[in-house]
Amino acid sequence: MGFLNKLGIGLGAGAGSSREVPRTMSGPGRPRNNSPAPGAMGATRAPELRESNRVSNGLKEFLWNLEGLGRGALLDLGPAWQTTLSFFIERGFRVSSEDLLRAWKEFLVEEEGKLREAAGRAAQHALDVSPLARAARFLEANLQYPNSSFDAILLWDLLDYLEPVVAKQMVANLTELLRPGGVVFAMFHSKKPEGFQRYRVVDSTSLQVISSPVLCPAQRVYQNREIQDLFGRYRTMKSFVGRDQLRESLFIK
Amino acid sequence: MWKKEDVKTQVVPERAAGFSTGSPTASSSPAREASAGLPVSSKASACVTQGIRIKGEVTGSEDLFLDGPFEGKVNLSNGSLTVGPNGEVKADIFAREVIVRGRVDGKIVGREKIQLWSTGNVAGDLQTERLMIEDGAVLRGRVEIETGRPIDKRDEARGVAAGSSKGGATSVSSGSAAN
Repeated sequence: MGFLNKLGIGLGAGAGSSREVPRTMSGPGRPRNNSPAPGAMGATRAPELRESNRVSNGLKEFLWNLEGLGRGALLDLGPAWQTTLSFFIERGFRVSSEDLLRAWKEFLVEEEGKLREAAGRAAQHALDVSPLARAARFLEANLQYPNSSFDAILLWDLLDYLEPVVAKQMVANLTELLRPGGVVFAMFHSKKPEGFQRYRVVDSTSLQVISSPVLCPAQRVYQNREIQDLFGRYRTMKSFVGRDQLRESLFIK
Repeated sequence: MWKKEDVKTQVVPERAAGFSTGSPTASSSPAREASAGLPVSSKASACVTQGIRIKGEVTGSEDLFLDGPFEGKVNLSNGSLTVGPNGEVKADIFAREVIVRGRVDGKIVGREKIQLWSTGNVAGDLQTERLMIEDGAVLRGRVEIETGRPIDKRDEARGVAAGSSKGGATSVSSGSAAN
């Protein structure tokens, strides 16, 4: 089934995947009492997702770098978690949110549909499915902000899940969006992750790790040298290696 | 120009009543099931359901429930807008309170509060005093909190919209509707 299968994303796991199942509001700061959320929550409830906290020196350093910025602008490329948005908004940031991994998956599903359509048409209308062309199409539709719009970017572990060509082009684009002196917070798995996790900010020194149904399988494990190459235009890089095979990195433009 | 009465009588006769009791009927689709117990004001008196497609501008000061395709602009100065799980709204929205359980493509200004529910999907900037985001909601845009009260954590637990409004009329103007 084309590149979707190559990337480990079948159409069966498309829009109807378990990721789409509505979940209850279960922010970490909220006590779980027995009082059911009123009927407002709807009929379907997803199973509880496993959550754990981890100390994040990378986040600590990230915040330290942003101290004194005043009303800075932050781009969060993870899911729109209330706790994360709240954390930064309370500190005066103007936050933009864009769940790029979800967008990538939706893009792939859409591309697969286009491919099937194009299969019935003449060769000259065929879709260019080279990774480079696909990366260009994806980035044309995403991350559309003026240059130097942001002081900080939360990249999370996104790069591990994107096709290397897309990752490379995306980092180049993000570099344009970042102001000089701006900071990127990224995470890299030291070995191929077994599950799929998403992250949200708990406080200034810790992150909550949320095990979720796989949205996209990991594409690549980046070595130090490759990371340095990806972020070659940044003047400083600092990494913190955790015992959970997760490396947190900060890049300062 | 449609008046409020037009909307009630021509567009959503029986479901408006079902909705106001929080128990929509007549469908077994997951989205429809999920709309049981919708977080919408009990005083929501205007309701546009799935089978109705509207292009145009909605203005008024009463509560409105949109659960179908809509394109244009929504301006409910003192009302609450709920975009239901089947709602597909391409519009800039201005209201006292906005609850999103479907798709919205456009800027949302919820003067008092914006709630994004787990099935909510917004592509556009949000501007409000208080913002509530449920896990699973999708947001692609900028968040602007207008006062010193940023994200409302108390309402997270409550999970219901408080919106109610008094008087006023909801009108749908310069639009077209077909069922």
